[in-house]
Formats: sequence, C-alpha cells, structure tokens
Amino acid sequence: MTGRVADAPAPALPGFPRPRARRRELGLLVAVVVALAIGSLSLGLFRTGRPELADPQGLLLFAAGLLVAHVALVVSGRRLDEVLLPAAAFLGGIGLLVMERLPQDLVVQELGPWTLGLGDLQLLWLGVALAVATTIAVVYRSDRWLRLYKYTWAAAGLLLLALTFVFGSEVNGSRLTLEIGPFAGQPSELLKVILVVFFAAYLAENRVLLADARVRVVGPLTVPPLAYLAPIGAMLALALGIVVIQRDLGAALLFYAVFLALLFLATGRLTDMILGLLLFAVGFLVLAALFPHVQERIATWLDPWSDPLGSGYQLIQALHAFARGGLVGVGLGAGLPEIAGRPPIPAIHTDFPLAAIGEEMGMTGVLAVLAAYLVLVERGLRIASSSRDDFRALLAAGLSLVIGVQAAIIAGGNLKLIPLTGITLPLVSYGGSSMLANAIVVGLLLALSDRGAAPLAPPRPPRLARLRRRPGGTP
Amino acid sequence: MDAGLNVALWVLRFAFLALLWLALALMARALLRDVRAASRDPAGSLGRLVVVASSGQPAPGAVFALDAVTTLGRDLGSSVVVDDPYASAHHAVLTFRGRAWYVEDLRSTNGTHVNGAPVAGVAALAYGDEIRIGGIRFRLERGRG
Repeated sequence: MTGRVADAPAPALPGFPRPRARRRELGLLVAVVVALAIGSLSLGLFRTGRPELADPQGLLLFAAGLLVAHVALVVSGRRLDEVLLPAAAFLGGIGLLVMERLPQDLVVQELGPWTLGLGDLQLLWLGVALAVATTIAVVYRSDRWLRLYKYTWAAAGLLLLALTFVFGSEVNGSRLTLEIGPFAGQPSELLKVILVVFFAAYLAENRVLLADARVRVVGPLTVPPLAYLAPIGAMLALALGIVVIQRDLGAALLFYAVFLALLFLATGRLTDMILGLLLFAVGFLVLAALFPHVQERIATWLDPWSDPLGSGYQLIQALHAFARGGLVGVGLGAGLPEIAGRPPIPAIHTDFPLAAIGEEMGMTGVLAVLAAYLVLVERGLRIASSSRDDFRALLAAGLSLVIGVQAAIIAGGNLKLIPLTGITLPLVSYGGSSMLANAIVVGLLLALSDRGAAPLAPPRPPRLARLRRRPGGTP
Repeated sequence: MDAGLNVALWVLRFAFLALLWLALALMARALLRDVRAASRDPAGSLGRLVVVASSGQPAPGAVFALDAVTTLGRDLGSSVVVDDPYASAHHAVLTFRGRAWYVEDLRSTNGTHVNGAPVAGVAALAYGDEIRIGGIRFRLERGRG
C-alpha cells in the first residue's frame, strides 16, 4: 500500500505541555506496591508475631517515590512507555524487601547524624535511581549529544576504567572500585551504558556498509569490510582488555555478548554471529590457558565440592539455599540460617540476592524475578522495533539486552549453570553504581519510547562514493 | 508458635507469591495488547517516507508507506507524485533489496540528493537519511514494528 497515511502531528505548542494520563502505569504500580506490602506484612508477622509491616517507613517512602515519578511522567505530557516503570519497580521493590530482610550490618555507612544499614542504603539508592530515571525520561529529547560525541563518550568511559586500574582499591582480588572522596563506585557498571551508546551510534552510521559491502574470505563466507569494523573492534578489545586485567570477567562477558547482539541486529547476517561465537570460544580457551583465576572459576563451576570450604563455599551455600527453598520457599524471614551471626553467603546482597529469593520465595519467586526481566527486555525490543531510525533502534535494543544478558549471566552463575562471575543482579542487588547505571538504562529506554520526538537530521553525508556500483546496473 | 500464627504466615506467603504473579500477569496483558495493536497497524513495515520540507505538494509532514519498489516523480503514475518544478516526470526510484533501501536516480534533469550529496546511479540509504528532490526534502524512516 502506497499513499498518504497520516498528516503531520500538530506542531508542539510553546509553553507548558499538556499532562497526559497514564492509567495503565498507575494500575500496574498499585499492583506492584500491594504485592510488596503483603510481602512486608509476611516478614513483619514472622519477625514479631504481630500483624505489622516489616519496615513501614521504607515501603511508604518507596511507594511515595514511585508516585512522584509517575506524576512527573504524567505532567511531562510525553507519550512514554507505561510498563517499563512498573517492571523496574517490581524488581527494585523485591530487592528492597530482600535487603530489609538480610542482616542490616552487612553494609553500614555513616551519613551525617544517621547510621544507615543495608535496607536504608538500598532505599536511598532506589530513590536516587528513580530520580535519575525520571529526569532522563522527562528531559531527554534529542539524540544529538549522545550520537555526535560517541568517541568522546567512549574515551571518557575508558579513561574512567583506566583510572580505576591505577588508583582503584582492591576488593576480593578484583580492582573494581574507584574512590573519590567519600564516594566509591564501580566504573565498569557505567561503562556498559557508554559502550552501548558507542556501539549503537557507530553501527547506525555504518550499518549499510557493514551489511552489504562484504569482503569475501573463503567460499560463501564474507565479513564486513575490516576498515569499518576496526574502530568498534579496537574499542571492544580495549574495554575487554582492561576488564580482563581487572579480573572483572562478568563485565567482559556482558560487553562481548551485547556487542555481538548489536552487530547481528545491525547487519542481519547469521555468519557474523557464528564467527563471533567462534571467536568467543577461542578467546575463552586462550584466557583459560593464560590466567589461573579463570581456571579456578571453571574448576569451581565443574565441581564446587572439591573445595567445599574454600573456592566452592559460596556456590555450595547458594545451591543449598535454592534446595531449601523448593517450589514455594520457606517464607520471608524464615530462611538463611546464619553461621555465627552472618549469612552463609558473604556476597549475598551483591552477587547472590537470587539465592536469598530462591530460599524464601522458592522457585515461584525466582521465576517471577526472571519473568520481570523478560518483561523489561520485551518492552525494550518493542521500543527498538518501532523506532524511526537506526540509532534509536540499536540503542533501545542494546540497553534492554544489557539488562537481560546481565541478569542471565548472574542468575546462571548463581544456579551453577555457567561459571560464576561477580556481577550484580540488575535493579535487585545492593550497590550504588549498579543501581545508578541501570536507572540510566531505564530512563533512556523510557525516553526512547517517545515516538513524538523529532529525529535528528543525519549527521553527515554517507560515504556514497565507496558504495557506487557500476553505472546503469541495478541496485 | 501457635497454630493461628502459622496459618496466617502460610496464607501471607502464598498471597505474596500470588500477588507478585498477578502484577506480572497484568504487565503481560499490557504487552499482549500492544503486540495485537501493532499487528493491526496498517502502516508499511518496510519503511516510511516523511516530507520534512516542501515548497509545493506533498506538504510538509505528509507520510508515505513504502512498497519494496516505490517510484518518485512528477508523472501521475508515480507511487509518490512530486509536484515540484525541479522534479522530472520519472525522477527516482526507491527499492528495498536484501537488508537495505537503495535510491536510484533515473537520470533526472536536476538530480537526487542524499544528505546533501548528489546521487550518481545508485546509493544505499540508512534510516534517518534525507532525500532531496527539487525543493522537497524527504526523510526515510523505519516502518512500524
């Protein structure tokens, strides 16, 4: 069907935009908060024997934060997605519940006159995350500052990572944390967002070349022209190199998986995917041969019981937790038998929140969390498929895949499906950098879902000369 | 622990899990609705041509859903009739081949421009590119879902 389909939307009126009701979002948010309230009630009843919420102020503040975010989105008047915020709130809320349930002295921070425990800090970060996501969703209108400065962004991200390598402090044998004054953060979390922006901008600009100007290697096997693959390959190699040296294998795996997915989305060539997977297998073998800590990870994965009190300890405890939980779990507050006042899994709040969920909410709860990630990813891919230009499409797809792949990597690690790599469960784990990075992802996805925003004019003429075919020939 | 408390704890445990899944089911219903709405959407799936700026017809803001072969020109038989003094009768043709759109200039008098550069023969297009024919500027956009 060719023809005039629709007239242009009326030009935006100057001044304040008209609020746009978001009933679906409000309904879903209410459903999420009610479910969390019942969970909190269950925890409170178990702890005190009286029907009361476990942490009424915390839940109330969280609900208030969600309401403020919802109202801000309504007032902004933009046509933004209405399922993303509830899905993120679902995950954040479960995370909050788990952090309130865990021993509060796992993380303690002094903040002025207050001493904040694990649950309070998680609530604080959730508030910051909501503010960041909502601000981006309301303010982000033009792709320009992301798209045109892609090399600047990539350089800044790599610089941040290099700074961590030089000045960072070591935790558990990995140099991941950068401390600036009172703030400590893990730059690799932010780097994942920056890399997706870079990949999306670069691939969008060169998509046609990468997909159709192929260089023949052997027989039917073709690869994209290497000159156009080189910048992105170099960036990836640099990021992976630094991350591997820092022993942050989870981040390395995440970066590579998302890169491969975006390349496939941009070119649509199955051979690229297969070639990428082969390269991954080679790289994995080389890493395993070169670095002893990679070998240790693999050995622990294959047989954690060979060193039950050392390297296999956390994983065995996590498996026990999942086993105790069974189908429906032992109930909030009833699980996690503590050894000498500590939970048996030291990193339960950062790397193993899924084990806590598995024990107290059972497989039903674990599947609910995984289903929420599926909702987020489906939403992101839908935003991508209805985007109007390549950059927005690739960016939306990349951002949602970052969350999905990261969840899959750490969930698989916790369940001994793949070797364990220490990354966070997005939006659930305790951790400021992780929460902030994922808030940026959710905020950008929300902003990208606005189809009313005018797309950016093409940044510069494509390299037409290189694509010219024989004159007179068919395209 | 007395029996009443135990029963209450059991009820709350299952109510919590059930409500979590209820919230997810509501989200899934919202997703399903959008999938159905997208599949009913008649707009072309290959791509759309949006008029960005124009001195005549079509007017700015007009949107054309694209077929795999779409002809542009002043001739009334063209898929997209470009009513501009600088447009030829058979000016250019847009084709979707394999994975990308291509524009071919049909030896028009005043030429076809992509992002400001004149097209000689055939040029590949990316979504978001601007095509200019005479005084009319089009933008190629991805089709819906």
